[in-house]
Amino acid sequence: MSLEFLEAFKFLKKDTFLHNLDPRSKLLFSIIISISALLFDEIVPLFLILLNLIPIIASGRLIKKWLKSVRGLTFLFIIIIILNTFFYDFSHAISMILRITIMVSAFSIFFLTVDPNDLALSLISMRVPYEYAFSFSLAFRFVPTIAREAQNIQDAQQSRGYEMQTSGIINQIKNLFPLLVPLIICSIKRAFNVAEALESRAFGSQKERTFLYTIKFSIKDWIFTIYLLLFLMLAIYVSFNFSLMPEWLMWSLPV
Amino acid sequence: MVIEIIDILPKVSATNVEYTYSNSTLALKDVNLSIMKGELVAIMGKNGAGKTTLIRTFNGLIKPSKGNVLIDGKNTSSQTIAELSKKVGIIFQNPMHQLFSNTIEEEIKFSLKNLDLSEEEIQTRTDNILKNFNLEKYRKRSPLSLSGGETKKLAIATIFCRNPDILVFDEPTLGQDAREIVFFTNLIKEEMDKGKTIVIVTHNIEFAMQHVPRTILMADGGIIADGPTRSVLNKEFLADKTSLILPQITQFNRALQEIGIQCPPNINSRNEMIMFLKKHLKSMGIKTKEEA
Repeated sequence: MSLEFLEAFKFLKKDTFLHNLDPRSKLLFSIIISISALLFDEIVPLFLILLNLIPIIASGRLIKKWLKSVRGLTFLFIIIIILNTFFYDFSHAISMILRITIMVSAFSIFFLTVDPNDLALSLISMRVPYEYAFSFSLAFRFVPTIAREAQNIQDAQQSRGYEMQTSGIINQIKNLFPLLVPLIICSIKRAFNVAEALESRAFGSQKERTFLYTIKFSIKDWIFTIYLLLFLMLAIYVSFNFSLMPEWLMWSLPV
Repeated sequence: MVIEIIDILPKVSATNVEYTYSNSTLALKDVNLSIMKGELVAIMGKNGAGKTTLIRTFNGLIKPSKGNVLIDGKNTSSQTIAELSKKVGIIFQNPMHQLFSNTIEEEIKFSLKNLDLSEEEIQTRTDNILKNFNLEKYRKRSPLSLSGGETKKLAIATIFCRNPDILVFDEPTLGQDAREIVFFTNLIKEEMDKGKTIVIVTHNIEFAMQHVPRTILMADGGIIADGPTRSVLNKEFLADKTSLILPQITQFNRALQEIGIQCPPNINSRNEMIMFLKKHLKSMGIKTKEEA
């Protein structure tokens, strides 16, 4: 599996409609899109949901990054195709690939466009205790570090002759161990180091905090939220009355 | 005849190499260099100068956006990383980035299994490398149980066991104690005696002054100086440009000149300085302890 998909979770500062939205409306977007994807098992509605994402991704000038992240999931897609074709049918496998793509895309839009600091503020405004909000935003902030570390690990292993792209599913799974084990070990070590560094700077000594910046729901956030709620209502309606829908919506592959 | 031609060819050569990262950072610009068989070269420069990017082009981890990198006369862009890693062994800065096996022995064997060797050959090479690196007693221990210095040693061993012609070290002395640096220095000497070509990326100016005959200085993705270490590192304007501190011997030399002792500028080693000071004291009629 290529580690390129981690690129899709690196925050990039840009001045676009999507970047300027409140983190809470973007979190709602990711959740609603994911719920909508879970409501359907058929190719056409899932494809329509994915199609609906494209203009939103384009508005954030993120098409290239998004395509890269989807390409990075090729290995997962292969596993999905094999397992689903074996236990169900090929059509179901394609539906599952579309579902995964939608969910990864929805959350990658969130991670690519939300500043870690704003994320903590939005969680606090939702009454999440500061310690938890801070931990979450910290984990989020470390995504680029982990992505860079994953690349370094891959380079270090390739320098000792390790070949990633070998044939056979079992070999490909086995191939992940030289990458994942060092990555997990380094991440755990870093987590301990960060915890110690925070504690040595008296983290948590003040219960009441004030913030330099605050976040605010603007008109465009309300419009976006209304659009999302309408979208969810439509998805629920279509899903619960699916048998009454036009036949083309139920189309599936003949295999 | 063929062997002679290979010996004349540079082991590593780069011509007009440029590399741009996906975020549009120009990491290498117009890099030209040539490293011959048996040379020991240091690459120095401040953080972000392009040193690590440059060494990553040697085994094809990075393919230049422009220009060519040749290893033994063959272009890296026409070879896979697996093929190149048989000739070029890069030892990365953080040893934790490559250790994943249950035991140290398995960690070494992982590097060898990628070489199409017989089981016997793999075992022999593993035994030899563990012995040479004093890691034999830890053979069945987890790589994670080793100390920082020993982990670095193991990371070096995992590359040395593959016996590549070109060895590239990224910050080998970083976080190492004096004894570990001596071990590393001896290791370098042994490999030089075997005719290996060695490239060391380092910030350790004293190490380079003492042990490395040639230094390449990098700044902003380009090479700004390439020559004998002593002359390259003694130039103040180059040191300023690359955030390097002048070698202690040069600083001492300048301090002597400031207080009126005319010290020859070509003094570059501890022994040469002791000789000069003895002569100077003698001219002033002061006897050293050993003369007295």
